[in-house]
Amino acid sequence: MLGYALRRLVSVSVTFFVVSIIIFLMMHSIPGGPFDAGEMPLTQEVRQRMMAQYGLDQPLYVQYLNYMWGAIRLDFGVPFQSPGETVAGLIGRAWIPSLVLGGLGVLVGTPLGMLLGMAAALRRNTWIDYLASAVATLGLTVPVFVTSMLLILLFSVWLNWLPSSGWGEPKRWILPIIAYATIPLATYARYTRAAMLDTLSKPFVTVLRAKGLSERRIVFQHVLRNSAIPLVTVFFPMFLGTATGSIFVEAIFRVPGLGSFFVSSIETRDYPLEMALMLILAILFALAYLLSDILYAWLNPRIRFGGGSE
Amino acid sequence: MSGPGPAAAPGTPSVQSGPAGRAHGPLWHAWRRLAANRAALAGGGAVAAIAVLAIIAPLIFPTGPTDQAYLQEALAFPSREHPFGIDDLGRDFLTRTVYGARVSLSIGFIAAAFSVIIGIPLGAAAGYYGGATDWFIMRLIEIFSVLPPLLAALLLGAVVGGGFWMIVFIAALFGWVQVCLLVRAQVKAFKSKEFVRAAVALGASPTYVVFRHLIPNSVSPIIVGFVLAIPLAMMLEASLSFLGVGVPPPTPSWGQMISVGLNFMYFYWHLAVFPTIALAATVLATSLFGDGLRDALDPTIEGRRA
Amino acid sequence: MLEALVTAASKMQPALQLCGIGKTFVLKSGSVLNRRRTEVRAVRDMNLVLERNSIMGLVGESGSGKTTTGMMALRLIEPTSGQIRLEGEDITEYGHQEMKEARRRMQVVFQDSYSALSPMLTLRQIVAEPLLIHGAGGATERDALALEWLERVGLHRSFGSRYPHELSGGQRQRVAIARALILEPAVLIADEPTSALDVSVKAQIINLIQDLQNEMELSVLFISHDLSVVRSLTDRVAVMFNGRVVEEADTETIFSQARHHYTRSLLDAIPVMDPRARPRRHFMSREELEAKVVTLRASEMDGPARPSGERRLVKISKSHKVEARVAA
Repeated sequence: MLGYALRRLVSVSVTFFVVSIIIFLMMHSIPGGPFDAGEMPLTQEVRQRMMAQYGLDQPLYVQYLNYMWGAIRLDFGVPFQSPGETVAGLIGRAWIPSLVLGGLGVLVGTPLGMLLGMAAALRRNTWIDYLASAVATLGLTVPVFVTSMLLILLFSVWLNWLPSSGWGEPKRWILPIIAYATIPLATYARYTRAAMLDTLSKPFVTVLRAKGLSERRIVFQHVLRNSAIPLVTVFFPMFLGTATGSIFVEAIFRVPGLGSFFVSSIETRDYPLEMALMLILAILFALAYLLSDILYAWLNPRIRFGGGSE
Repeated sequence: MSGPGPAAAPGTPSVQSGPAGRAHGPLWHAWRRLAANRAALAGGGAVAAIAVLAIIAPLIFPTGPTDQAYLQEALAFPSREHPFGIDDLGRDFLTRTVYGARVSLSIGFIAAAFSVIIGIPLGAAAGYYGGATDWFIMRLIEIFSVLPPLLAALLLGAVVGGGFWMIVFIAALFGWVQVCLLVRAQVKAFKSKEFVRAAVALGASPTYVVFRHLIPNSVSPIIVGFVLAIPLAMMLEASLSFLGVGVPPPTPSWGQMISVGLNFMYFYWHLAVFPTIALAATVLATSLFGDGLRDALDPTIEGRRA
Repeated sequence: MLEALVTAASKMQPALQLCGIGKTFVLKSGSVLNRRRTEVRAVRDMNLVLERNSIMGLVGESGSGKTTTGMMALRLIEPTSGQIRLEGEDITEYGHQEMKEARRRMQVVFQDSYSALSPMLTLRQIVAEPLLIHGAGGATERDALALEWLERVGLHRSFGSRYPHELSGGQRQRVAIARALILEPAVLIADEPTSALDVSVKAQIINLIQDLQNEMELSVLFISHDLSVVRSLTDRVAVMFNGRVVEEADTETIFSQARHHYTRSLLDAIPVMDPRARPRRHFMSREELEAKVVTLRASEMDGPARPSGERRLVKISKSHKVEARVAA
């Protein structure tokens, strides 16, 4: 098990290294640097001094190595758009709204989705099963920004119940949280239903029924725990979906979080901020990928899982 | 022809009499299962209807999608003459919404086709040869799993400035992974089947085995991969266009129209509502059709209502 | 031994000879740091002669290496040592093209008829496949021959446009036999072709193989663990145990005068209907069987033999070989 984890760690690290190079190269090939003529009326001399100050005149691999060395010490440089602070500082400020809203969204959506999926599996081919399927399909296929738009149109524009934007008083949080929650809700509704149905069709459940166990005990003591593995492993794709979705949720609800900085940094060609955000996300994705692999391997042989008590 | 052949079949009588009725291949059975799935049929029908509408659009609308024919009535609400209203630049909004389907559907289909074209050979190679080839292709896939697709697409879009073919390229770049994994799994499973070993025992070359046996037996995952890649590409296009790095205006694209609609939402709701509904409906219909196809083609997986 | 075989076959070569072939599988396990290599000797130094126009049974429990032997004869598994001779021709080192030619003369029927036929092809396509691979005849000719062969294995022509999933296990196995024989090979390797079938269907398939063997003067290597089938079908039997042949004789000799303990324990395991006629059985584990070595006096041998403490396959009559230690 440890050997497997180490092997995966090495493999994912190499992948991350390659990805960081790709990101770095892409960043540098964005047409129009921040100090290009036309963007800002600067003299040749001033431009060169600025380029030197940001290290943009050195060969690419030196820039890459410098950058990565800095990144390890959390020194991502100074954002072009607000030279008064550091990228690390800006990110340190911006992650709070993202985490609070995104986290609350996941916290609300996950249990709701699981409940819906369970109800659908236990009451198959009834209205609740169809509802769960509809919610799952809609949530997984319709882009988050479309959901967000519909939420705003419904609750802010037509019903005028809730404010459509911002961060601040908790009332403003409600719509972004609902928008975030659609992703875990849909994911868990679909996978809980599938996992439960799969377990319910296993012979051991038939044996338990034959033994005369009550349906409630069968579901809560046996089916649920045996359906847990796919649900654990699906957490990471869901997490990644939510992280990507934050770009749109924050852009639409004008939340000053990581997602909206990501968009603004692309628009203003803010290399340092852009690069830092991409790297952080790539690390997050790589870790999630690694963890889900290891968790899956750990849970799957069913050596530890429920071995003691059953 | 070698040898005399079994000239007249001697001795052995035909003990098994002929079966009644027509013979049906596995794909025919899949088609029957699909036809029994109402949600999938509705989805497929809706996609077909949208596609037909998009194709015949020039015949039904008096103005083109970029003609500013109604500047006097800019931002007008839906009316009898203009069921979806007029947009901020004086263009008939129904016309633009329908033309938006052209961009969305063509990007979806072309990108999915490219995903399949890239995914089949790589998946077949990884599954058939295994070993170092498989390792290399799996690492490639790992890179695409660690690279957040939408964010990388955003960056790429910013690098190369968007545009129709660039979006197709980006969507295919991330779309092939799914097809590749599906084909790889199928080829791996079938490689050790005895009909493949029987072909090898007959002296068949690897090319023959791959093209006669392994790829035809992977047709289900290929079809599923193709259809499920369509909504993903459409979502990617809409997302990029929404963020301003997709299909450049004035070509109508739903993502871009939604982004404009967002600015007018409080006063001119129609600019946000119609493209949003059009996008949601199209993506949903395609996904429903794709899910139905997957269930129909693989009767062993969950979700099939037996 | 080897030289003896070659000289004996001076006039007419046997259909198939396996000369001292062996297979060692290498299993890798453990983590990167302490990787373990385990060598498994699935088959060791095995000699087998399949005479023309005869059926030889290769029996043994699962894991005894009999399937591996069959696959090596076909070179679907490459042997790690030894020689394979097809009608006297050493095919062990043949390249793809030469081997392709050789494969026309040696075909196989597998155990699992469900995975032996591609689900995407119609039966006529499946049966015609060997002709297609070897580029024999035009499309219509191939099709006609395939339909003829379907009838020859007892299926109506109208089955030609059916798909494998519409057939029963026995019908599928008939199709597999037609595919194997359409090129009119000299040798057929049948790897447990009946063990997945119902008893009644099993008999039909056995009859079919027997009839076709007669008509075509086929040489069949029949791999099976089912001794009652082997008894009714084969001319000679080789018994495999732990990757080697421990006894080989004409079928009746094996069933009446078995010498090796393992052969006897296999015979004991045949179900007997009448409980009073049932012999007292004493089942032994592999280890016990491995420890029990037959000891023979030199006088019991057919021909001269030097005494040795090593056990080896020795001849005790013209056509009976058994693994034994030879006492002085």
